[in-house]
Amino acid sequence: MSAPRPGGYRAAAREVLRDRPEVRTSVLAATHTFDEHRRASWEEIDADAWRDWMRDVKSHVLTHLDVYLETAEARLEANGVRVHWAETAGDALAALGAVAEAHGVRRAVKAKSMLSEELGVNAFLEERGVLVRETDLGEYIIQLLGEPPSHIVGPAIHRSVDDCRHLFGEKLGTAPGASPEDLAAAARAALREDFLSADLGISGANFLVAETGTVALIENEGNIRLSTSMPRVHVALVGIEKLIPRLEDLSAFLQLTARAATGQAIGTYVSLIQGPRRQGEPDGPEEVHVILVDNGRTRLLADERAWEALRCVRCGACLNTCPVYRQTGGHPYGWAYSGPIGAVLAPGLLGLEEAMPLPFASSLCGACAEVCPVRIPLPELLVYWRERAVEAGLVPAAERFGMKAYAAVATKPRVFGAAAALLRHVPWELGGRALPVLGSWTAQRTAPPAAPRTFRSIWREGIE
Amino acid sequence: MSAPGRTSGGDAPMSGQRARILARTSAALGGRERVPHPGDFTGPRPPDARGSDRLRSFEEALVAAGGEVVRFASVEEARRWLADFAAAFETISVGATVPASLRPSRPAAMPRAAGLGVSIARAAVAETGSLVLDARDGRRTQLLPPTHLVWIRAFDVHATLRDALLDLWGDLPSAVGFHSGPSKSADIGQILVRGVHGPGRLIAGLIVEDDGPRAAPSTP
Repeated sequence: MSAPRPGGYRAAAREVLRDRPEVRTSVLAATHTFDEHRRASWEEIDADAWRDWMRDVKSHVLTHLDVYLETAEARLEANGVRVHWAETAGDALAALGAVAEAHGVRRAVKAKSMLSEELGVNAFLEERGVLVRETDLGEYIIQLLGEPPSHIVGPAIHRSVDDCRHLFGEKLGTAPGASPEDLAAAARAALREDFLSADLGISGANFLVAETGTVALIENEGNIRLSTSMPRVHVALVGIEKLIPRLEDLSAFLQLTARAATGQAIGTYVSLIQGPRRQGEPDGPEEVHVILVDNGRTRLLADERAWEALRCVRCGACLNTCPVYRQTGGHPYGWAYSGPIGAVLAPGLLGLEEAMPLPFASSLCGACAEVCPVRIPLPELLVYWRERAVEAGLVPAAERFGMKAYAAVATKPRVFGAAAALLRHVPWELGGRALPVLGSWTAQRTAPPAAPRTFRSIWREGIE
Repeated sequence: MSAPGRTSGGDAPMSGQRARILARTSAALGGRERVPHPGDFTGPRPPDARGSDRLRSFEEALVAAGGEVVRFASVEEARRWLADFAAAFETISVGATVPASLRPSRPAAMPRAAGLGVSIARAAVAETGSLVLDARDGRRTQLLPPTHLVWIRAFDVHATLRDALLDLWGDLPSAVGFHSGPSKSADIGQILVRGVHGPGRLIAGLIVEDDGPRAAPSTP
């Protein structure tokens, strides 16, 4: 994708809601399905115990990250993998570009990777004359449309079957009444040619096992297995936070990540990759590269509070349950990661000013914290970034004043009581519309009549 | 990146980045409380980890994910079934380590041209309904043909994923694939379709002969 532009969030969200109501319909349906599947699959297991354990393993890795990075590097090199270190997106792209150039790569197949979206891999390689083909069906759809992904797990959830029918009719010549099966078959045929002709396969990594130097990848279609098996060179882009200590630790991570993302017991395909094809093996890539990417992660790690966001396994569960994300999908967030986790990662990875106003794109309802498989305290971190934004003077004066005024009233019981009593007599239909913030709310709505007595007076007398 | 071996020790910009990332990581962790590893994940166990229930769990999990399981009491029975089953396919690709007794009688085809791929699993997982496929058997046969038949011996079926991973440790090829059903996608309007890139049909040929205590991990 192009340069991050979270600053346009408000305008972009408004535009989607006003001009493209079908996006909301598709996103609501898809996120509801994802979330229902997650809920059902968590009921089959002691999900709370799994989440505690995974939180602790991730926190363990992150608080020993220097040690694990060196262990992983040594192991990867012993396996015959070429290891590259990249401080920034530009450095990661340069390393990838150098590999592509050294092998005279003309065609690349790409497995779904959020890090590659973060880095802007496709545009970079295409500028250098490399044809990059997205092979995940959802990624393929949005690549043909020229759009960025709108969801971590389901990149095309904002698009309907009809959208795909129209698109594939135009690009692949499918019939106007083609079924989803027909459409998938057409994509399979087209992409099969790409798998057979590509010189380079690009993937991300769900996990990197330090003790064995294993790149672990989860998927459902088989395109990741093909992308990492067919071309003669495989490059894996790996964020430095992706480490896991031991191979056996993958057991819980593979299962709960799948359950959190789609409700499956495990992804249909799991790849455990140890390096290039070895003697006696019939096939596989001749060369495997791992690019270890920082791109803001060490800065986030240094933050005393927000470092916990680096535990994220990119399952998308917090997006599926977020009442704000569900209205618009991911595009208005303006960069690779959307929803609550995107709003929490953005200030760390992009910088606070660059990330504004994403920490405010939440109602703080807390639903995200209830579903996070690694127990990232998302609402607390959203509040934390908001506080930091206020300190840094990045919040508009009206909001700052509103929060200050509320704090001044709410922290003094007598004043709060008096204000509450007064508010009950405000003629909302008339007066509300003149007020800032409340004006746009009351323009579309009428307020219910106030209760005859305040909650506080009932409370004082004892609730029956 | 032309020089083989330690790229990180090679050209100066790369090693500079390595040193700076590691230094920033260490600095970030300066006064941070170090969280201990929580120990082995023993988690929930499948209903019964032993005997025939282990096989039933495997079968139920794989079938729930859209896979098929055919049981055989002996290699001989499997072989007779294969002769019939394979007759429906014009071209067949066969994994490098599939034993002669479980190979179709016809000459093998290239995986990209085959209608059926026949592999042998190194292990399976009851908990997740997974077949564990080794790169030494050949990845293309595991991925390219639209129908995939995978032989699995009952004594290679592990109760849990953790057991299977512990068993893999120390004998890892360039790649291991866990296949837990046919290829699927819901990326077109959230409607589930099969056979998007990998095989649309996955059949586990479960050979129950000699389902005694687990044999030592086999090295093909």
